[in-house]
Amino acid sequence: MDRNSRASVQIPSTRTSGLSGVEPQAPDRRTIFCNDRRTNLPTPFPGNSISTTKFNIFTFLPKGLFEQFRRVANLYFLGISILAATPISPISPITNVVPLSMVLLISLTKEAFEDWKRRQNDNVINNRMIDVLQDQTWESVAWKNLQVGDIVRVKQDGYFPADLLFLASTNADGVCYIETANLDGETNLKIRKALEKTWEYLTSEKASEFQGEIECEQPNNSLYTFTGNLIFQAQTLPLSPNQILLRGCSVKNTGYIVGVVIFTGHETKVMMNSMNVPSKRSTLERKLDKLILALFATLFGICFIGAIGSGFFVSNKYFYLRLDVGGEGSGQFNSSNRFLVFVLTLFTLLTLYSPLIPISLYVSIEMVKFIQSTQFINNDWCMYHKETNTPALARTSNLNEELGQVEYIFSDKTGTLTRNLMEFFKCSIGDQVYGTGVTEIERQIAERNGMKIEENKSDTAVKEKGFNFDDDRLMQGAWRNEPNPDICKEFFRCLAICHTVLPEGDESPEKIKYQAASPDEAALVIAAKKFGFFFYRRTPTAIYVRESHVEKKGQLQDTSYEILNVLEFNSTRKRQSVICRYPDGRLLLYCKGADTVIYERLADGADDIKKLTREYLEQFGSSGLRTLCLAYKELSIHAYEIWNEKFVQAKSSLSDRDKKLDEVAELIETDLILIGSTAIEDKLQEGVPACIETLQRAGIKIWVLTGDKIETAINIAYASNLISNEMKKFIISAETDAMREVEERGDPVEIAHFIREEVKKQLKSSLEEAQSYLRSLSGQKLALVIDGKSLMHALDPSLRVMLLNLGLNCHGVVCCRVSPLQKAQVTRLVKKGANKITLSIGDGANDVSMIQAAHVGVGISGMEGMQAVMASDFAIAQFRFLADLLLVHGRWSYQRVCKVITYFLYKNLTFTLTQFWFTFQTGFSGQRFYDDWYQSLYNVIFTALPVIVVGLFDKDVSASLSRKYPGLYMEGIRNVFFKRSVVATWAFFSIYQSLILFNFVILPSSGAKNSAGKTLGHWDVSTMAYTCVIVTVNLRLFMICNSVTRWHLIAVGGSILAWFIFTFIYSVVKLGNEHFVIYVIMSTPYFYLTLLLVPFAALFGDFVFHGIQRWFFPYDYQIIQEIHRDEPESSNRTELLEVGSNLTPPEARSYAMSQLPREVSKHTGFAFDSPGYESFFASQFGVYSPLKAWDVARRASRRAPKTGHRK
Amino acid sequence: MASSGSGSAGSADAATARKHTKRPKYSKFTQQELPACKPILTPRAVISSFLIVSVFFIPIGVACLLASNDVVEIIDRYDSDCIPENFKNNKVGYIQSSIDKTCNRTLNVTKHMKSPIYVYYELDNFYQNHRRYVKSRNDDQLRDPKKGDSTEFCKPEDLSGGRAIVPCGLIAWSLFNDTYSFSRENNMLAVNKKGISWKSDREHKFGKDVFPKNFQNSSLIGGARLNESIPLSEQEDLIVWMRTAALPTFRKLYGRIEVDLNAGDQIHVTLKNYYNTYSFNGKKMLVLSTTTWLGGKNNFLGIAYLSVGGLCFFLAMAFTIIYFIKPRQLGDPSYLSWNRSPGGQ
Repeated sequence: MDRNSRASVQIPSTRTSGLSGVEPQAPDRRTIFCNDRRTNLPTPFPGNSISTTKFNIFTFLPKGLFEQFRRVANLYFLGISILAATPISPISPITNVVPLSMVLLISLTKEAFEDWKRRQNDNVINNRMIDVLQDQTWESVAWKNLQVGDIVRVKQDGYFPADLLFLASTNADGVCYIETANLDGETNLKIRKALEKTWEYLTSEKASEFQGEIECEQPNNSLYTFTGNLIFQAQTLPLSPNQILLRGCSVKNTGYIVGVVIFTGHETKVMMNSMNVPSKRSTLERKLDKLILALFATLFGICFIGAIGSGFFVSNKYFYLRLDVGGEGSGQFNSSNRFLVFVLTLFTLLTLYSPLIPISLYVSIEMVKFIQSTQFINNDWCMYHKETNTPALARTSNLNEELGQVEYIFSDKTGTLTRNLMEFFKCSIGDQVYGTGVTEIERQIAERNGMKIEENKSDTAVKEKGFNFDDDRLMQGAWRNEPNPDICKEFFRCLAICHTVLPEGDESPEKIKYQAASPDEAALVIAAKKFGFFFYRRTPTAIYVRESHVEKKGQLQDTSYEILNVLEFNSTRKRQSVICRYPDGRLLLYCKGADTVIYERLADGADDIKKLTREYLEQFGSSGLRTLCLAYKELSIHAYEIWNEKFVQAKSSLSDRDKKLDEVAELIETDLILIGSTAIEDKLQEGVPACIETLQRAGIKIWVLTGDKIETAINIAYASNLISNEMKKFIISAETDAMREVEERGDPVEIAHFIREEVKKQLKSSLEEAQSYLRSLSGQKLALVIDGKSLMHALDPSLRVMLLNLGLNCHGVVCCRVSPLQKAQVTRLVKKGANKITLSIGDGANDVSMIQAAHVGVGISGMEGMQAVMASDFAIAQFRFLADLLLVHGRWSYQRVCKVITYFLYKNLTFTLTQFWFTFQTGFSGQRFYDDWYQSLYNVIFTALPVIVVGLFDKDVSASLSRKYPGLYMEGIRNVFFKRSVVATWAFFSIYQSLILFNFVILPSSGAKNSAGKTLGHWDVSTMAYTCVIVTVNLRLFMICNSVTRWHLIAVGGSILAWFIFTFIYSVVKLGNEHFVIYVIMSTPYFYLTLLLVPFAALFGDFVFHGIQRWFFPYDYQIIQEIHRDEPESSNRTELLEVGSNLTPPEARSYAMSQLPREVSKHTGFAFDSPGYESFFASQFGVYSPLKAWDVARRASRRAPKTGHRK
Repeated sequence: MASSGSGSAGSADAATARKHTKRPKYSKFTQQELPACKPILTPRAVISSFLIVSVFFIPIGVACLLASNDVVEIIDRYDSDCIPENFKNNKVGYIQSSIDKTCNRTLNVTKHMKSPIYVYYELDNFYQNHRRYVKSRNDDQLRDPKKGDSTEFCKPEDLSGGRAIVPCGLIAWSLFNDTYSFSRENNMLAVNKKGISWKSDREHKFGKDVFPKNFQNSSLIGGARLNESIPLSEQEDLIVWMRTAALPTFRKLYGRIEVDLNAGDQIHVTLKNYYNTYSFNGKKMLVLSTTTWLGGKNNFLGIAYLSVGGLCFFLAMAFTIIYFIKPRQLGDPSYLSWNRSPGGQ
């Protein structure tokens, strides 16, 4: 394609020598000449315009229709319509074409509308303006005209039009801040830093002089990696993701930036990431497929019977039929070839009975579910979270009814059960422990031991989000009077310096906001602020801290610490270090991390402090706190320089960069001096214990899958009501003494083997014990706790069955120390292995795989990370809303969809069977009983609306009762409304009804029907029968309604009325069989007597069945209805809401605490590996982070904010 | 602060924050609180609805039966009796021969029959509802003289010698052609054949200026011939015949006798047994019947009403007895599944 013709702007080549030197591009990399369109010309880079539409005007019909006909029902009806156009058909094609085209019309209109919206969106984006460098000035150019190699300027709050190489920014030090919300939903700012050599190319004059070649990888979809080099001024400079600005992100807090376009249009990383998400189908819908298959089988069955009959019937003796004469369709009645008659009649009957297959069923269900999700779930006040201003969001409407059948919930802990709101609670500095706060867990334990703890908050107690610490010895500078103020100082400095937090907003202690990847980090920095070490500014090379009380009480002093290196956190290192230079030139390394890794790296000596700190850590841990150890080390300049050389080398290496960095970091993180430890409280989310209890009463089993340590996880499990003291606990852990012994020997094969055997042994004994418990009548509930290492072996195919058996028998299961992959494996184990319906709920990137693996994925929204939400099917703001989502919406949706499906089955079967009975009376000729139009409008008009109304409004018991009686939910788990017997009952009664409807109308039809002695003909009888069918089928709907709103009345009455209006007009307008038929039959009293009798007689059976069923075998919901029969439905829902969880949050919490374990466990509760952590650092510093296939693909493609950037 | 990212946007300005609240708008629809009545099928409701149905249905059933019993009906099957002895084994041969088909029958009136008395012929095993038969007509042609040539769907009786047949098609072709004349004590009883078809058929489906053409001209004669000088709208036998029956056994109106017949009267019927039902072993019957408001004899409706009503009454009684013997307390929590089996399973 001619690139110049596509671009409306011409940029003259500023390179004169480049033309001849163009080499063919190597397939695995691309070379881009900056600021030089002509040289880039030979390489076919795509333009920057994007198109996310599925169709254009020409492809819409063929492609759209093709997609529609991939549905079996549609294809089947197309086939039938074609068949109906042939002479063998008893019906005219309109019978099938009308419903088919209506269904297609609705679906295609929806598609077209959506595509049109996408196109508009694309147009808006493609026509956005961006400043491009042309002839030393910035010219405003539409995005779509941008080309690879162009130099662009992006102003504050502007979006990057393509993937850019960052050259310069108005900020000092060549940094800029970007928001990646469109990419991963995270709203915190990230830093990007340009190469120092390019900082100066900021103005248009200067930038036009910029000439360089970029050699980089080919476009790919990895958001966090980039390898390439900038060849510039005869130097080769390595490029990292830190210099790459991705399309879809926006510039914040920066005047403007200048960059070179490297990937455009569909080659940008964000576009490469957009892919279609495989949609989940609900279990019920899959069962529905089976039902449709059964209907097809029935269809062929009755066609077969009819066809055999016709083979026998055909005979020349019926001279008035002139079967002996040829002519159109004569083969069908040729008595000399009965097999041919059989075959042709088979097809005839296939077209005749085609309404048996409910063509509008899928469309109706889709419509119902769409409204359920967009109108009911998304708008439910009970699931709106005021604090975060987040309503619930159904991201798919496919799975509403699946919510009503969930049996297993897999929940993440941090951010899901807990708030992910970390509060600095306690600390130990040197040999002292500080913090007078008492955790709820401690209080419960104390109370159980008969002690009452009075909490005496001092006046100085300061409480802020993230800080819940009180100790007079440290606050307000009082630490200067402590026995060892110097170590306190180090402690506070470590908190203030050793982190990767970004300050935002006004630089005053009250107004500043901290952007942190992990709330733990933010809590620590806030703590430093409260202690008088206020971190207020970060530049890429320095951290500014306003220190008070250091030299003298009350004195303020701004100090800047030069940051030399950041050795960042990752899950293998479990620690983080910062090397800084004091203003006086001293070099210090501050380190914080998990107790185990810090202790390994401590210098010898100071055993007292180590011992004491370890004790404190265990104390903190058993109180349910998350701990970190702090340490520091003074460096000599010489040693540092030697080390730094290695570090720079490692950092610029192109392969295995992070591994090398880890290795280099090991070299300097040695001989540390322990300062102390911090303890952070991870608060439970509001209403979690009550919600878990409710869900458990609903027959749902909850598994908590967490990355936390076993002790922390057990604590939270107790606190959240998942495990109680009455339960028998099985703990399977790879942390036994025997295992440690083997581990010390260090042979990996032996370790693996040993652990495997050990896990097997533990599993086996637990399983035996569990089974004996189940057999005994004690009814004791069981709980299982298993750690990640054991899980790894337990998930092995040979042990999997045992694990599954054990897990399924337990009421609560806690898996600790599990990786994201294991979370998904466990979910899949239950989903596939036990064939149960599963739901996963989580909030972070580490939950994405689990969310996608489960039948239903629920993301916690309104928090920082959006990755889980992007991958989820439903998003709610709080764990406790799960009760509403499942017990109210899920249960209702399940019941409604079941009703819609079974009713569809019933009405089509009843209708078609009347036709089938008629076939016997017509010599199996396949004569239609009803008029073409009547038959074709049966499904789409006369019986369409009421069932949708039921699908939307039917309500067995109110929302508050659904919450009050969680046991009702078990009806969904047992699938009582769509099991075989239910379907069979419906089918049985539809056979019964069709027999009544047909015979009661047709048997007395011979003989005079009015006082003038006139008789009725075929079409008179069929119209009467049809009227009876319409009335019966619509009235039958009332019998399945639990509540009748005026919409029910309008829909049912309207449908019957529509039939009469239609036939009144139709029989006058159209000359033919039905001409004036309705007026003829309505002139006879016989018609009215029949119309009264037949529906009654037909519904009589159902009525008796319902009466007996309700009397002797009532469903649970029916009992509840009866209990609350006389209660008026209150419209004040907030009042009713409290029926479900009538505990206030503090009450609920203390109730939860009473369930805590009695034994004090010896653990230190290290928990710093918060979900977003790794990716945060990766994006922050451009370090390679393991590509997570499960999150990248999805998150970028999903979010389409109003501002309109679409990926 | 951990969540300041979203918080800062929201709390920047309290006023705008309130405006930007994402709290869904309240409506009874979205909160699923539409006013509704909740019918519950309690035993009492079941019993009373049964009672109500029986209270309504039994009288209706009685009324229907009474009406049906008022009808006096004389049925005479003559197809085999009208075959001479020597043709008993060759009925088809007889009917296709040109022998005189006159047949005399005597009907005994057992009960007073009030005029008008309707005369019907009843055919059996005659598939007027056969697919090939039903569609073999052309309504345009029957109504509109300009469309006399449209013979679509009429095969094989569409053309005769290359010219369109009016009325075309198998239905018209196979028009019933037995004729009946009645006499009582040597007095002829006139049979009025006017107004035996539905008015809408006469006025809307069969044209006043459409005349039969080329009818029954081909070698094979199916049934009656039509007088080509009478328009179709007045050919009432044809109109009645062409309102095809729903079942293979059907009755069609032949005419009216407009005098009362007394009990004990003997009616002599002279009939021309032309129509061939012998090929397919069909019965032919002559029916004389009076009518009531409900029409002819129709016990089915009355019996059905009485059965449904009676069954409802019986069930109402049975349920009442059960209600007293083994009552189920409404809303008894012990029926709840999680109470029935301990452990919530």
